[in-house]
Amino acid sequence: MSISGQNLFRFLSVGAATFILAAALNYVIDPLQLFRPAVLYPARYSLDDRMQNAGLIRSQDFNTVFIGTSLAVHYRASAINDALGVKSVKLAMSGSNSVEQSFVLNAALLRRPKMVLWEMDDWIFRDAPPIDEDKFVPADYYRMNIKGISGYLLSLDTARESVGILIRLLKPLDRLAAALASLQYLKFGSGSIDDLNTLPANVDRTTVYNTANTRKSFDYFAAHPSEIASGYDYDAMVRGFERDVISLIKAYPGVEFRIYFPPYSILQFVSMRDFSPQTLQIILKFTSLALERFAQLPNVKVYDFRDAQEITHDLDNYHDVIHHSPTIDLKVLSMIAAGDHLVNRDAPTVSVERLKQQVEAYRIDAIER
Amino acid sequence: MLFNSYPFIFLFLPIVLLGYFALGRRGNLAPVIWLALASLAFYSFSNWQFVLLLLASIAFNYLIGLLLIARKLRPGRRFAVLSIGVVGDLVVLGIFKYAGFLAANLNAMFSTGMTIDILLPVGISFYTFTQIAFLVDAYRGNVARYALPHYALFVTYFPHLIAGPILHHKDMIPQFERAEAKRPDAHLILCGLIIFAIGLFKKTCLADGIQPLVALAFGPATPSFDQAWIGALAYTFQLYFDFSGYSDMAIGISLMFGIFLPLNFNSPYKATSIIDFWRRWHMTLSQFLRDYLYIPLGGNRHGRVLRYVNLMITMLLGGLWHGAAWTFAAWGALHGAYLCINHAWNNYGPAVAPRFVRLANIGAVMLTFVSVVVAWVFFRADSTSSAVMILSKMANPTVLVLGYREMFACCYIFIYAGLVWFAPNTQQVMGYDHSNRAVGEPLTRLRQPLLLYGTAAMLAFGVLGIQQHSEFIYFRF
Repeated sequence: MSISGQNLFRFLSVGAATFILAAALNYVIDPLQLFRPAVLYPARYSLDDRMQNAGLIRSQDFNTVFIGTSLAVHYRASAINDALGVKSVKLAMSGSNSVEQSFVLNAALLRRPKMVLWEMDDWIFRDAPPIDEDKFVPADYYRMNIKGISGYLLSLDTARESVGILIRLLKPLDRLAAALASLQYLKFGSGSIDDLNTLPANVDRTTVYNTANTRKSFDYFAAHPSEIASGYDYDAMVRGFERDVISLIKAYPGVEFRIYFPPYSILQFVSMRDFSPQTLQIILKFTSLALERFAQLPNVKVYDFRDAQEITHDLDNYHDVIHHSPTIDLKVLSMIAAGDHLVNRDAPTVSVERLKQQVEAYRIDAIER
Repeated sequence: MLFNSYPFIFLFLPIVLLGYFALGRRGNLAPVIWLALASLAFYSFSNWQFVLLLLASIAFNYLIGLLLIARKLRPGRRFAVLSIGVVGDLVVLGIFKYAGFLAANLNAMFSTGMTIDILLPVGISFYTFTQIAFLVDAYRGNVARYALPHYALFVTYFPHLIAGPILHHKDMIPQFERAEAKRPDAHLILCGLIIFAIGLFKKTCLADGIQPLVALAFGPATPSFDQAWIGALAYTFQLYFDFSGYSDMAIGISLMFGIFLPLNFNSPYKATSIIDFWRRWHMTLSQFLRDYLYIPLGGNRHGRVLRYVNLMITMLLGGLWHGAAWTFAAWGALHGAYLCINHAWNNYGPAVAPRFVRLANIGAVMLTFVSVVVAWVFFRADSTSSAVMILSKMANPTVLVLGYREMFACCYIFIYAGLVWFAPNTQQVMGYDHSNRAVGEPLTRLRQPLLLYGTAAMLAFGVLGIQQHSEFIYFRF
């Protein structure tokens, strides 16, 4: 072999060896805990819920899965455990749609939990791309196929997180790691799974959740009424509901599904009443259908908190027209535990009628600013 | 298809290389046709809807060129044929690249309600320019008759098709005609791989690595003084490592096929003046603008005032070549003004005393660099008003955050500054000499193992750093 040929061989060999070493480091450290729970080092968690959930499903010990959107993402798993006497894992994803939720839930159900607690919003059923076209969900990490495993191990991003975890083991470098995390160079910044995506303890809740903020959000929709109706298509919603919810529930008859419609502020529906009545009609019609369909499934219990007037009419509970405070998180959990607002199988749409009356009766000028 | 993707590195490139050398044993033409077809396949992977446009452009320009080269036309007719060719190219470019911009401006001025939304074919600016140069040279009588496969390969050659370097037919076609290039050469393949590795590392590790800092200035939040500077500097380095990384990869890939591409970068941030900067940054575009725009406009042949006018026109059009937006026009105009000032200083400015030359050079590098950074703000910003806002923050040191995050970002910026100012560039590392068709001399020296193993590690990190959604910035142009 010529000298150039030998050099070419050496070059490719060293390149391949470096490649394999990086993959080995990623396998041993395994920052996402895809292969095993962290035992060699304190586990770190990423705020990127769509990625982190793949690791949580494989590394956590649980008998209950909690899923939902941004309305569920601030819950603490410990609060769910205390209220319902279960061992839960939180897989809520901000801004998620029914395709994403169904996909993640399906992956979690393969671990054979006994119960699913599902925070369900009507807007998750708006048309969404198939999961493999969704660039925010690393679907192959959940599937753990060749593409997923190689994508995880043969990745500089994973190697950076592996090195980040090693850096954090050295106390003097902890601040460096914190700075790297604040610049998004390290994604696995949280050391506590229970704190993941929750409101930090040092935040004054009254400045976040108050009537002024809620009213501001209502005023925004008043100025941008087209945004209220955006994406609502009854037929598409029904298709998504049947495909992503009903078929999933039917596939796991031994699992108890506790589904709840969260307590949005009354202003959510009032904004529709005043600026997009057609959207309100779609939502009421769709949720009536959903409640009737759920009533036919023996392994489903539904709680409809949208008419929980004591919560929804107190605008100090909200950050905007839909997002409620952590205090309401706990209240919702206690009501689920007590069976409040449980939908009656024989008259599943009573809560919808109550909500309709509340929305019709509400006077926006009665709000104290 | 992207150079920084697994399918390209592990599938497309090896297959095309094997096919090229296998066909090279059978003759001189088959590998050229193979490479042209492979280039079309490369283009069609992500731009299949524009393959016909590319083929039509090649056929149109080849026929116009043929008329200019082979037919003995009278001067008036020759000029008319050239005009048809150039205008035809510019009309197509104008429709795809500038119609939307024009409609938006007309709408803003006269409320016409007209909107035009046309998808930009990737690489159209590059293949239009290479072919205009071909037509102009054919008109000037500087072109021999080329065979269609060689011409088609010259336009479509995949290492350069998407984002340059802008090739010159006189440089490339004779290389495509050489029989020796069709035989595998382990030395050229090794050198090509090393240059590709450096380019890939620049892209996936350095450019993509500093990208998060860019948001400090160009993100949704209003930046402070330090954040605005960090963001602007981060973009300055990101753009350099992104585009020069792409150019290195193009040169490296081409070298594996035995073809030497022209250099596109020569440590531009080490420039001691704006004139020097444009001899080092996107060199093939600068040469094109000089030869086919600035000189035909009159260059410096009609006095100083007209020279400055020609400079401004050239740089304004150069700015708009990058994209149909006022931000690019502002960037071009700013560089036009810089060049005018630079030429005026050379003519009227005082000479530097010999003992201050070193100090003056350092000052010149800093001044040139800061001027370039200021111009990049327009290049990167979403609108001219947003650029002005960021520049106003960069000029207001009273609003300072300088928290732990910003201090850490500054360390990052210093490391990148060290790389662009003090590290040798790729051609220096590899001894790449385009005009003499030589490369790899440093591999024969004592430090060879360090170079070999260091770049092998860079290849590994470059491949590990491949992200799914990381396009090259210059793909948009």
